[in-house]
Amino acid sequence: MNESAVKKPVSVKKAILRVLLYFVVLDVCVITLYPYFAMLCTALKSRAEIFAVEATVLPVHALWSNFIDIWSRAPMGRYFLNSVLIAGGSTLIAMLCGIPAAYALARMKFKGQTAFLGFVIVSQMFAPVVLLIGIYKVMMTMGLTDSIWGLIFINAAFNQAFTVWLLRGTFMGISAEMEQAATIDGCNRVQAMLRVLLPVAAPGIVTTLIFIFINAWNEYTVALCLISTDTYKPLTVGINVFNGYNIIEWQYLFAASIFAIIPVVILFMMIEKNLVSGLASGGVKG
Amino acid sequence: MEQNQKSSGKKIFRAVEPYIWIAPSIILMAIFILTPIVTVFQMSMSDVSRAGRIKGFNGVENFQSVINNPAFGLVLKNTLVWTIAVVVISTVLGFMLALVLNNQFRGRKIARAIVVFPWATTLVIQASVWNFIINTDYGTLNTLLLKLRVIDRAVNWTSTPEIYFAWEIACGIFVTIPFVTFCVLSGLQSIDTSFYEAATVDGANYWQKLFSITLPLVKSSLTVSTVLNIIYVFNSFPIIWTMTKGDPANHTDTLVTYLYKLAFYNGRQGEAAAVSVIGFLILLLCASVYMIYTLRKGDDN
Repeated sequence: MNESAVKKPVSVKKAILRVLLYFVVLDVCVITLYPYFAMLCTALKSRAEIFAVEATVLPVHALWSNFIDIWSRAPMGRYFLNSVLIAGGSTLIAMLCGIPAAYALARMKFKGQTAFLGFVIVSQMFAPVVLLIGIYKVMMTMGLTDSIWGLIFINAAFNQAFTVWLLRGTFMGISAEMEQAATIDGCNRVQAMLRVLLPVAAPGIVTTLIFIFINAWNEYTVALCLISTDTYKPLTVGINVFNGYNIIEWQYLFAASIFAIIPVVILFMMIEKNLVSGLASGGVKG
Repeated sequence: MEQNQKSSGKKIFRAVEPYIWIAPSIILMAIFILTPIVTVFQMSMSDVSRAGRIKGFNGVENFQSVINNPAFGLVLKNTLVWTIAVVVISTVLGFMLALVLNNQFRGRKIARAIVVFPWATTLVIQASVWNFIINTDYGTLNTLLLKLRVIDRAVNWTSTPEIYFAWEIACGIFVTIPFVTFCVLSGLQSIDTSFYEAATVDGANYWQKLFSITLPLVKSSLTVSTVLNIIYVFNSFPIIWTMTKGDPANHTDTLVTYLYKLAFYNGRQGEAAAVSVIGFLILLLCASVYMIYTLRKGDDN
């Protein structure tokens, strides 16, 4: 009797909090998804329906053909390929340069270690957009303006800080004992790293890799500035053919946007958990 | 003798080895980051032709003409408003969202996956959709509110440049929240639950636990996300460029869109470089304030 009298208010309070929690979560999800909902609805409308006086929320007749039309209306296939090449190329180069550097920072002691790490951090303060004039000039001397190679190198370089930072954190979290044992068994350092450390560090490496890929895939500003030939444009810049000065083809712009978003969202969901713990631990240790 | 040579060779290699390991990374960053940095600083102090050729040293002339331009004050103000508003509001909201998502509830995984969306989406696309949503004539915000009978006439959501700028800030907050949320979540998950159990036994309420356990323990995660966000938001270009291009008459320009127009529309590359340098100095100032603050705190302990 007495017990239930004490218990009851607590459980009511708990129930209210529970309802409130679901209410907040639902709200957040609806607001977050709303732009995507608007995008999908618009991508399925005809031009006439978008600009109709009696506006609709959902498309009256879902025009799935918009998703097919965009491939012939603009060199979408080419943009897509360029994005894959740029993102893939930058990831490869960033990893090839970043893995050895992170390994040296995690496993060796040398003069200038702090200075190197300092430069890595300071380089983060210079976004490509602030350096655009300088980048443009450097690329011009190297003949890399209006080239996919130019974008690959720029993206690789500006993601170097993240690569080194995340991988250093990963490597430092792994004990060096196994590698030392391998060295005693006659492995040299390169072999020890390749055969012993990298397999253990695989989750961290995959996270870093996907993160750079996403960054390079989503990059807009440098590509906008450097690329003038239509067939070299990545998706982020290319889809703006539908966003012209005189006429905006919203249905095509958003249909194309959905193609640009889907691969990244899937990749992001795969690494979300590891990425954040990597960022935070790197920060704490540094 | 030979043995000796071999071992001294080995010694030299040992000393040089780390630099070989970091060499690719250094070369990559030296060519594509350091050279542009040097070039920008050099250009900011030079007379630069429209085509970008450096014609000679001119001291602080570029800086003078940038600062004397009446638009610059407005641009600087916009940049500060933009950075502070986006970083502060998204940090507060992102922190609160992390507290919510840290609860155990059904559908938690799905909710977390949904919250990631704005982070993963490229900013150009996000900004295009926002521009579409708030459009007066055919925007879906008006359509939706009309259908729900909240309003009876289409509202002009962007009647003044200031309001348009506020929408850009809202978009900036929207895309920045997930990063804060996930940084804080990672901090929250590393907290030992026994702290909370002990506090509950001692009779602490929710707010006491929040301020005396949660906040101090996620502080490092919050610091990381705030510092990175200040840099990113300050330098963020695509949202404003897609939505307003800084128009009308610099009313929605921040330093980065302003310098882009100076360099690539107006051919005033020397001045654009000066704006870059000014932007960098502001960030450096923030960084030193942060450093001094953390160092002083270190002394206290």
